Amino acid sequence: MTTAGPAPPLAGASAEPGSFRDPDSTVFYADGAVYRALSEDGLADFELLAQSKLFTRETEAGRLVPTELVEGEAAGPRAGRCAGLLRHELIPFVSYPYEWPFGMQRDAALLQLDLVSAALDEDLMLKDSSSYNVQWRGSQPVFVDIGSFEKLRDGEPWIGYRQFCMLFLYPLMLQAYKGLAPHAWLRGSIDGISPGEMRTVMSFRDRFRKGVTPHVMLHARLERSHGEPGKEAKSELRKAGFKKEIIKANVTKLHKLITRLDWSPAAGVWTEYEGKNTYEDAEAEKKAQFIREVANSRDWGLAWDLGCNEGRYSRIAAEGARHLVAVDADQGPVEHLYRSLKEEGNTKITTLTMNLTDPSPGLGWRGLERKPLADRGAPDLTLCLALIHHVSIAGNVPVREYLDWLASLGTSLIIEFPEREDPMVKTLLGAKREGLHTDYETEFFERALGEAFEVERRERVSDTRLLFFARPKGSPAPA
Amino acid sequence: MTQVLAYLDPGSGSIILQVLVGGVAAAAVTAKLYWSRLLKFLRIRKDEEQPESGA
Repeated sequence: MTTAGPAPPLAGASAEPGSFRDPDSTVFYADGAVYRALSEDGLADFELLAQSKLFTRETEAGRLVPTELVEGEAAGPRAGRCAGLLRHELIPFVSYPYEWPFGMQRDAALLQLDLVSAALDEDLMLKDSSSYNVQWRGSQPVFVDIGSFEKLRDGEPWIGYRQFCMLFLYPLMLQAYKGLAPHAWLRGSIDGISPGEMRTVMSFRDRFRKGVTPHVMLHARLERSHGEPGKEAKSELRKAGFKKEIIKANVTKLHKLITRLDWSPAAGVWTEYEGKNTYEDAEAEKKAQFIREVANSRDWGLAWDLGCNEGRYSRIAAEGARHLVAVDADQGPVEHLYRSLKEEGNTKITTLTMNLTDPSPGLGWRGLERKPLADRGAPDLTLCLALIHHVSIAGNVPVREYLDWLASLGTSLIIEFPEREDPMVKTLLGAKREGLHTDYETEFFERALGEAFEVERRERVSDTRLLFFARPKGSPAPA
Repeated sequence: MTQVLAYLDPGSGSIILQVLVGGVAAAAVTAKLYWSRLLKFLRIRKDEEQPESGA
């Protein structure tokens, strides 16, 4: 690999395994930064983008990932094919659409549409509409696929429309119209939901809901009757005088449709949690104080809050972390948290929904296109508050197994242990056969925790709950 | 001009749909598209047309 001029040393560059579909643009990592190698066409498109008003405007607004052209001759991972090299600002934590609550999916869709609309105004276009091109800086969506922008070709329709439906519109409709969370489907199908599949889910009544007849029913019908690839239809349309105003009109209508799509967690999901929470205010304050002290005791880089609920303690832990990922299996409280963070303009806490006994695996081609949760940056500090009884009793993951998984992340840990006498634990155990979960017991938990971590602090926060702070085994005690 | 192919197949149905739901902006294009299909169907016009001159 040769480098010259101000180009960075690219020895040891590793290609992003999820970036191979677009031949004009390949992402790779080197020196802890993200680079994009461009083909000649890719470079020409970038130069057009770089001169556009939208590039400056959207980058300044934080909606486009900050990007610079690396001057000088530099060879990418596909040596000889790289005509230009871009350097992107790092996103604090990569996440995927099947981990986003409804509000995040909708805001990502609106960002995609805004960018298509702005691009058209300057005779540019986006060559695809993948929801995976949107990432998050806290509660702010950031479009990262700079290689998606290209010169608008006269008479060409919106190539990414079908993909937009499959990865953005249909998942949102499913949740808004059917109350069905699309996460499992998106996780199971990297291309999203096809028009034909979506059609089978829609009832007769659904046809009268906004957007269903054109974008689902008619779309599926036309897809069945026009089986051939899009090339012929494209030239037919060009001859008929297709123009960008048509795309613009469709994008505007879709924007309106998606803005109106709404899903709200069932009334009382999080309030119910709060109600069931056995803490008295004083005890909650004790817990908050413990977390605040640990959070501020050192400079934490990335923190995770597993089982974040409505995010009360995520916010406290985030005071001492560079970035925090708040995760909960229940989409309701996560949606609620996202909305309030968005309102505050928070750029530090990213909210995700995921079953914590079944965290996101590697997916796509060779299982490498989408990374497992832990491969996207292991945390320096992890919060597990009021979680282990759910994982261990409801989820049947043995206590030691769960602690070993946490230890394998190399993270420091704040973990709460509700004892067997805790009302919530009693409820969970009540649903199980007598004699099960004998490992769910204070003494055993403490022994297993001590074997997997160096326990630094132990505190009783209520009659039935203990709180621990532990650091990775073998790590030096803080000075 | 030679046609540049995208790396994504846009799907014929999805393309046709764009003019059908494109409202006022697309009305003329829709009419033209189906008129030329009708002519082809009636064999008044051949399938393979001469390359169009200009826009």
